[in-house]
Amino acid sequence: MTAMPTQETTEMSNALRPIARNDMGLDPVVSQGPALLAGIAQGPGLVAHRGRLGPAPTPSADELVEMARAVDLRGRGGAGFPFAIKLAAAARRRAVVVVNASEGEPASRKDAALMTCSPHVVLDGAAAVAHALGTREVHVVVPSELPSMRRIVEKALSERAEAGERLKVKLHEAAPRFVAGQAQAVLQLLAGRENLPVTAWQPEAVSGHRGRPTLLSNAETFAHLGHLARMGPQGYGAHGTAAEPGTTLLTLRGDGWDPEVREVAYGTPLADVLTAAEMTQPLLLGGYHGTWLRPAQMQGLTVSRTAIAEAGATLGAGVMLPLAEGWCPLVRTAALVDYLAGQSAGRCGPCINGLPAMAEAVRALVHRGGSAARVEELCGLVVRRGACAHPDGTARLVASMLARFPEEVDSHALGDCRGGRDEVFA
Amino acid sequence: MSEHLLRVDWPACKGHGVCAEILPEVVSLDEWGFPIMHEPVKGDVLDMARRAVKACPTLALRLTEPPPRHAGP
Repeated sequence: MTAMPTQETTEMSNALRPIARNDMGLDPVVSQGPALLAGIAQGPGLVAHRGRLGPAPTPSADELVEMARAVDLRGRGGAGFPFAIKLAAAARRRAVVVVNASEGEPASRKDAALMTCSPHVVLDGAAAVAHALGTREVHVVVPSELPSMRRIVEKALSERAEAGERLKVKLHEAAPRFVAGQAQAVLQLLAGRENLPVTAWQPEAVSGHRGRPTLLSNAETFAHLGHLARMGPQGYGAHGTAAEPGTTLLTLRGDGWDPEVREVAYGTPLADVLTAAEMTQPLLLGGYHGTWLRPAQMQGLTVSRTAIAEAGATLGAGVMLPLAEGWCPLVRTAALVDYLAGQSAGRCGPCINGLPAMAEAVRALVHRGGSAARVEELCGLVVRRGACAHPDGTARLVASMLARFPEEVDSHALGDCRGGRDEVFA
Repeated sequence: MSEHLLRVDWPACKGHGVCAEILPEVVSLDEWGFPIMHEPVKGDVLDMARRAVKACPTLALRLTEPPPRHAGP
């Protein structure tokens, strides 16, 4: 017999459950941007793309590594790994190129926006990398819940084949779950196995797809590389700052009712990205695996990896989730941890056991009677103890809630939620 | 004498706990029975670590050199 849900859990699941992208079908508003999203008004076709930018250049691997190093190009999947190091490691015989557009983070929409509005910007980058690595084998991974993206990429690939590009591109559809876009899970998918993370004994640049050196990167990363190959480091640096040249894609309110994808130069003030009202609310930066910022920390902050790191957060894959006015960040976090626990692939012991325990401990903390010490203990028990970073990301979110809102945690312990009152976050 | 790391293949590990019995110097168990590695393996524990690797019922342990730096996330 199934237990009846309590009043509390019913409310939780109806009102506070985070809304995953495939549940709602709201397309984000995509604004024209300075570099990657500069040509979206002309549509996704190859003729307009080449008419605007001319043919794509084909630099050597050494040249490409040098350019990526010159502008300190970082991976845009969330980890921010230096691309030049990855490319240099993969630049050996029989390498494979993998474009990951599967975007497991539910509040991130930027890769979908990029792939559907400007697929050739991404594919130019993939073609440049394939040429530099001396391979023709390219895999593109799209999310199965967005069939329109697959159609647009297929059309784009046939346009390129007709124009004479000789790449062997294979499309794959990632499963609709949080961990499906993780690198090792993608390699499993490519090998025809279940799309779930496995233990990586070596980085995929050394031993990836079928044991071959594999350059697996996020779709936006390839787009930046294509742009860099075309413009050179100096042209690429026309936007951004001297320390952080170039632009980055952001998803604003990606799981809300008015999602938006925007390309901004590094160094852009956060106040130019968020509304004045949003600047007075806590911000979840970097998505469901991200970190909270208080409004006081957001004043004067710019979209910059280093500035955000100094504030104790990470930009991740560029997801920004401002807390709606009147909401409590603890209640919101508890709902997210519930969701994340349910997104475990159910394979690694510490994740299977630790995430539901963490969800329960956070819920207890938020609804009275829980202990922050227990939550901290559980965070310590899941970090670096799984095949993928899903438990680590969940622990990061929870740890940032404890670090940013200690007064709120204390008042919840006494049964009082002060969420939404301005003085709490000042 | 180089240090080795005892690494767990987490999807393979089913929490039998044999490693913690053979190698309590390095391995303890969490509240659900899954191993926690406390330190790198070196010196005279190395032989016992090799035995733990062989004894794991699900072959979920590996003794590795420290991972190469700077090859990717």
